[in-house]
Amino acid sequence: MATTKYMENTPNPLSPQATDEVLIAHFKAGRTEAFDFLYQRHLPNVYKRVRYVVPENDVEDVTQEIFIAAIKSLASFRGDAQFSTWLRTLTNHKVAEFYRKRTRKQEPMLAPLSDANATITGNTSKSMEERVYLQRALQDLPENYREVLLLRFAEDLQFNEIAHLTNQNLEATKSLFRRAVAALRAHLDK
Amino acid sequence: MSQHDINKDNQLAEFADKVLQGKMNQPASSSDLDLLRLEETILHLKQTLPTDSPDAAKTKQMLVRLKARMKREEETAEVPFWKKLFDFQSNPQVGMLLVIVAVLILAVITVPSLELGGSSNPTTGTANNNTNFLIGGGIVGVLLLVYWIFRRK
Repeated sequence: MATTKYMENTPNPLSPQATDEVLIAHFKAGRTEAFDFLYQRHLPNVYKRVRYVVPENDVEDVTQEIFIAAIKSLASFRGDAQFSTWLRTLTNHKVAEFYRKRTRKQEPMLAPLSDANATITGNTSKSMEERVYLQRALQDLPENYREVLLLRFAEDLQFNEIAHLTNQNLEATKSLFRRAVAALRAHLDK
Repeated sequence: MSQHDINKDNQLAEFADKVLQGKMNQPASSSDLDLLRLEETILHLKQTLPTDSPDAAKTKQMLVRLKARMKREEETAEVPFWKKLFDFQSNPQVGMLLVIVAVLILAVITVPSLELGGSSNPTTGTANNNTNFLIGGGIVGVLLLVYWIFRRK
C-alpha cells in the first residue's frame, strides 16, 4: 500500500508521450527538459491562436512571452484546470496585454501601415491591412464571442468539443457562434 | 429561442464546418439576407486570417530562441535600487559612509556627557545620558547589522 502511494507521487520516466500532468511533475521536480516536451506539444495551438489575432511581425514575440510566463508560473500550477485550458487563459491575457501596450504607445494607427509593409511572400499590402483590421475587430469583441470564434477557426475544434470545453450544450454553443459572427459583422460594418 | 433561430444556428454552424473542411468557398444562403451576410463574414475570416501551424523545424527554432531569450533575460534581470546601493563589494563607499555615520552618531551622543561630567541634577543627567547612550548604541547596532547582512550577501 505504501509502495503504491509512493509510486503515485513519483513522476514516471520522462518521455515525449507522457501526459501533461506527468511532465509538469517532472518540471516541478527540477527536470527542466520536461518543459521542452510541453512546449512542443502546445506550441501549435498557442501559435495558431496568437497568429489569428496578432499582426504577423509580433506573433513569435507574443508566443515566446506566453511560454516565458508559463515557465515562470508553472511551479504554482495546481492542476485545478487542464494545462491546455490554463495556457489558453494565459494566451488571452498576453494578447490583451499586447494590445494594451500598443494602445498606450499610440501605435494602433501605425500598426496597419507597418504590418502592411511587411515583406511576407504572397501577401499584398491590402491583404495585410485587411488582416490587421480583422484582427483588431476580433480583439474588440466581447470575450465569449471572441473565444468561440477562436476555438472554431484558430484551433479548429468541432462544435461538440467547444460545447464540452465551455460546459454548454451543443445548441447553446451554435447559438453563441452565430451571435459572435453577427457581432463581428456589425463591427466590420461600422 | 424560436425554432427559426435554432435552424439558423444549425445552418451557419454547418456552413462554417464545410468552409473549414474546404468544401465550400462561396455563400450558400441566397434567400436569407441575414444569413448570407454571416456566411460572407465566415468566408472573409477563413480567407483573411492564417490558420497553419508551425512545422517541426520552426518549432525547434522557436524553442532555441525561447531558451536564448530566457537566458538573456535572466542575465539582465533588473536589480532593485536598494540592493545595488547596499552591494558593498561593488559599492564600498556606501559601507564606509555607514561606518562614518555610526561613529558620528556615537560621538554626538557620548561627547557632551563626557565634557559636562553630569548636570546640576545628577540623577536626571545620568538618566538622560544613559537614554542617549542606549539610543545611540541602538542606531549604531542597527547600522552595523545592516552592513553585516549585506556584506554576507
